[in-house]
Amino acid sequence: MQSEKELFNLIKETYPQNPSHDFIASTEKILRQKARSMDKKSKAKKLTAISGGIILFALAFSWLFFFSGKEAVTKVASSFGAESLPAAVHENEPLVFIYHSHNIESYMPELDGNKVFSETKNVTLVGEEFSKALAEYNINAIHDETDISGILEERNLSFADAYTVSREVLQQTLNEHKNVKMVFDIHRDSSNRAKSTINIDGFDYAKILFEVSKTTDNYEANKAFALEIHQKLEEHYPGLSKGVIDKGVNPKNTYNQDLKDNSVVVNIGGVENTFEEAYRTADALAEIIKEMIEEY
Amino acid sequence: MIDLKNLEASIAAIYNEHYLDVYRFLVCFSGNQNDAEDLTQEVFIRVLKSLPNFKSGNNLKTWIFSIAKHVAVDHFRKKRFTSVFKDGFFTKLESNAKKPEEEFESTEIEQIIHEAISRLKPKYRAVVILRGINEMTVKETAEILQCTESKVKVDYHRALKDLKRKLNLDAKEVLVNAK
Repeated sequence: MQSEKELFNLIKETYPQNPSHDFIASTEKILRQKARSMDKKSKAKKLTAISGGIILFALAFSWLFFFSGKEAVTKVASSFGAESLPAAVHENEPLVFIYHSHNIESYMPELDGNKVFSETKNVTLVGEEFSKALAEYNINAIHDETDISGILEERNLSFADAYTVSREVLQQTLNEHKNVKMVFDIHRDSSNRAKSTINIDGFDYAKILFEVSKTTDNYEANKAFALEIHQKLEEHYPGLSKGVIDKGVNPKNTYNQDLKDNSVVVNIGGVENTFEEAYRTADALAEIIKEMIEEY
Repeated sequence: MIDLKNLEASIAAIYNEHYLDVYRFLVCFSGNQNDAEDLTQEVFIRVLKSLPNFKSGNNLKTWIFSIAKHVAVDHFRKKRFTSVFKDGFFTKLESNAKKPEEEFESTEIEQIIHEAISRLKPKYRAVVILRGINEMTVKETAEILQCTESKVKVDYHRALKDLKRKLNLDAKEVLVNAK
């Protein structure tokens, strides 16, 4: 009777092909609310999982002491001791390591179609800017551009495993470059423009937030490090830093900050910022890091 | 595009990218806008809840659509169950004598299309809509319906044939009635 194309056009004409605007907006709102409450619930669930983990840990610990206890512990202690000895600083040895566990996080205004992730235009560019700004102060930094999310896909892992993959990158760098003194894992967060932007001297900056995992032995050192950056930012760029928050307890995550002291997760801007705003913040951060290195 | 550290941003991004396709699938499947909107919401709520289990190597679009297909078929079953009494006998009587407002809303040909599609078996309906309206490839459709690609091809041709036959019959009926 009709060609297939005609038939499908007829079908399309038969049914309203667009949902109502009210529906589109209200559904997004509902989904966001549910996502937030799920975050809370999953935290409660993880708590029970963690208590189970603690029992396992206790078992493992007692095993360690009953069987090969002392030897193992002294081994661990001596390796820690060796690592904490500051090696002689060579001028050209990189002092700063910058990487991105969630490398595809991006900024909506820079992308088409309300997207917040991109494989090409993403937070990696902000890390690059930070690294370049440090270079201008003669501070040698390694900027890692590994496509973590690409590796996740290759290995058929979920996004939750991002820190496991980025850990490999960090570990390798730390093995090869013993003089790295600071580690920045740069992300962007999901806050809206009002919360993620500040105007300083007529320029919009993407606000910055530091996150420190409470579940590592380096917590005290990392927290002090992040607080120092925060305070210096407050002096030079009041309001730019949202501060330092403790994280990583529920769900438990070290964010790989156990591998090196002076490690911190840095969120630069939210989904509604632009690269320009994020770059300004990266430049400001570099200025503060320069000041800190001079004081060391 | 999934960030479990930030479910809210992830689901918002996924929703914005896919709601229109999902809605279009569901509006053709269910036949009315209200149901389709409710079902679309249901689909994305399920997507959100299963997001932590989604493996990043898989295809997000076909994964979402396989959820949409489940939601659509569930809805069809529930509706069929509750409407056995309401629909079965009386609506057939009614359908010959259409209510005035219905006549005003939909043209005759649209009515025929709607009847023909809603009389297709759900599995045929899904294939026709996925291939014809959502313009999915055979491979994607097979992934969504979790069957082989050759089954998609066979089902698609049977469904189209069936649909055309129904349309032909109905169109003839209209002509006969008009005489």
